[in-house]
Amino acid sequence: MSVAQSLNYHIKFKLFGSQIVKWQANRAYRNFKEPKNRKSDILASPLKIGVKTKELITKHYLEGRYVNGVRPVAWVTSGAPVEILKALGFYILYPENHAALCGARRATLDISSEAENRGYSVDICSYARTDIGTMLSGKTPVGKLPKPDILLACTNICQTVLFWYRVLAKHYNVPLIVIDTPFLYDNAEPHQVEYVKNQLENSIETAERVAKKSLDFAKLKNVVKLSKEAAALWLEIMERGKNIPAPISVFDQFIHMALVVEKRGDAETVDFYAKMLAEIDERIEKGIGAVVNEKKRLLWDNLPIWHKLRFLSEFLAEHGVSVVASTYTNAWGELAPMIDVNNPIESLAKTYIHPILNRSAEYKLQVMEKMIDEYKLDGAILHSDRSCKPYSMGQVDERNRLVTQASKPALLLEADHSDPRSYADEQVKNRLNAFLEMLGV
Amino acid sequence: MSVPTRLEIIEKVKKDKRGVAAVFPIHYPRELFRAFGIHPIEVWGPPGVDTSLAMAHLQSYICSVVQSGLSFYLSGALDVVDIILVPHCCDSLQGLGSILKGFVKKDKPVFTLYIPRGKRNEDIEFLTKELKRLYENIAVFAGFKPTKDDLLDAVIKEEEADKLTLKAYEVHRKFKTNASEFYRLIRLREYLPLVEFETHVNEFMQKKHKPSDSVGVVFSGVLPEPMDIFRLVEESGGVVIDDDFASLRRRIYPLGESDDPFERMAQRILNAPPDAMKGSPFKDREKFLLDIVRNSSAQGVVFYNVKFCEPEKFYHPILKDSLKNAGIRSIVVEVDINEPLPQQVKTRIRAFIETLKRG
Repeated sequence: MSVAQSLNYHIKFKLFGSQIVKWQANRAYRNFKEPKNRKSDILASPLKIGVKTKELITKHYLEGRYVNGVRPVAWVTSGAPVEILKALGFYILYPENHAALCGARRATLDISSEAENRGYSVDICSYARTDIGTMLSGKTPVGKLPKPDILLACTNICQTVLFWYRVLAKHYNVPLIVIDTPFLYDNAEPHQVEYVKNQLENSIETAERVAKKSLDFAKLKNVVKLSKEAAALWLEIMERGKNIPAPISVFDQFIHMALVVEKRGDAETVDFYAKMLAEIDERIEKGIGAVVNEKKRLLWDNLPIWHKLRFLSEFLAEHGVSVVASTYTNAWGELAPMIDVNNPIESLAKTYIHPILNRSAEYKLQVMEKMIDEYKLDGAILHSDRSCKPYSMGQVDERNRLVTQASKPALLLEADHSDPRSYADEQVKNRLNAFLEMLGV
Repeated sequence: MSVPTRLEIIEKVKKDKRGVAAVFPIHYPRELFRAFGIHPIEVWGPPGVDTSLAMAHLQSYICSVVQSGLSFYLSGALDVVDIILVPHCCDSLQGLGSILKGFVKKDKPVFTLYIPRGKRNEDIEFLTKELKRLYENIAVFAGFKPTKDDLLDAVIKEEEADKLTLKAYEVHRKFKTNASEFYRLIRLREYLPLVEFETHVNEFMQKKHKPSDSVGVVFSGVLPEPMDIFRLVEESGGVVIDDDFASLRRRIYPLGESDDPFERMAQRILNAPPDAMKGSPFKDREKFLLDIVRNSSAQGVVFYNVKFCEPEKFYHPILKDSLKNAGIRSIVVEVDINEPLPQQVKTRIRAFIETLKRG
């Protein structure tokens, strides 16, 4: 670590940057006002905790600007077992979250074109194209991303991440740890969990070498404990959606899930979700629903359409439709009970092989049916996400089974999580209108 | 060359009261099935199938190999087989396996096989166990378990076939033989019994080939469909002299070392030429491709990609750069295995070979 880098980090991030962000957030929290352009006639006021979400995410990216040379930096896939790196003191960046942020800020087209111009096909996942575009051009709405010292790719969400991280590893010339998680067509078998456990154990040496320190197992246990607590609170928050009217919608969840993905294993994330839960409970007590006049309740399947969150939220709310549960946001909480703090490596192996994206389409259908039942839902929107084949394959049958077996209207909506070129406004409106007619609203 | 069709082979195997396994792409140990006396027949598409059946289950952005494979299955064409195997080699094949097991079930077992994305010790150890699991599953169907010696014997026979196949490639490279015929020959291994395949290869080896002065090109991709591509190259004055196809060159497995048959099968698959479907590192793929080009004195490379095949697409920019740095020209074209070669692809390949001819 150079003295200049350290000074820069401590002055610009620790002393001023993070304090200013915190002060601004506290002030905004105390004097919370509803945004001027909010459609308060159809949507509840946004959660006050949103101010804190913004604060924590802003601070995280702000730290990233100055962190190189001060803390080791790891870039990891969203579903990766990050706890070992956290315990070793790595600053963690999630390229998928960065790409989602680019999508929400409508920067995808500009940035991904940098990758496309270098030969990366438009048929490649738009998250990958966005991050490769940032890698090649430096363009990002967050100012600057730190360079990685190590990469961690876990295949429990897709195989795409493996290729994507190989591109990153070649460009940055840093070690890549691959945690390969066999896809579970049925229940996990012992040799599959053992394989993941072996890889986790073998990854420690590389991570320690890059971090220039040894892994402290007491620290690891603490990080695992914090991960479990954050995920459990997140699950509880989502389950509050069972209340009628639902206090939060999935559009709120899509925003607030950023922390359980990006900062799980941190104490402040646990505090954050505890406060969020309290605020939601307050809403329930007051009978406040996320949609003012909740008439119908829906399930969302697959990733969000980041660049259309607001449109979809308002369009559906205008018709009294609240989308209250999602297989995607649920994925970040449902595995919390599997984590065993006293048996960290083995339980991480078991937990990280089980995400919904690493399980069969039939299992996903079972999850959807269960959610429809437990959340008392009237139907489902299945986002057929061109960029996410593992999530999308099987949806045609899942939709048909929901209609025929669960007798619930279900819509397959073609789009892309980030790339606006795969989204047609009029077509989506027409399909949604027809679906809403079926719902009777 | 007169060879039986897949259907004729199936009928013959059935007549011998043996089982048939339909195997979807890409990597699997043929020897494991052969040790059980079960005949593996690979399902690469096939091209030209009416994919409307699959459209009732798949989105339009899923590759044509999977679209065709599922349509073929739904059409009843695979009803004659006893077992289905879907190796896990990409997200789309993963989805196919999921749909076959969950939503379009028929009265025959669908087995899966996870191919690890690495060749570390733990990967070989895992694949060894995964192959034992598959062995146990097949044994339930077959009603018996081949011995260790039976298994090793089957492995060694496949290794011999791999060696022979490599020799055939050498002959093809040396004489620039007719690529349509050569690749039709090599692809016989997708469904012929081993001995018959070897007989055809030996016939090819014994033939007197005349050297050709056509421009050699290497093709890289998943599979050479439509097969008309070879004729097009030939008509343009070129010849596909070697390949980096997942269905062909990348499946000529090396000899294993272990005395344990399962570990040996695992070693063979994971130590095989680098492949996008195994998530191989760029440097391995760069080296393999450059070696092929140099050993065959090819003058250019055609990346012959199946539309929507994401794994291959991630490698193109870096492999193209690597070839460029080595002074080798390359182009990328895209095809759908269910459609005739698009005019645009034909024109680009003709122009590419013309450019290579000019030096």
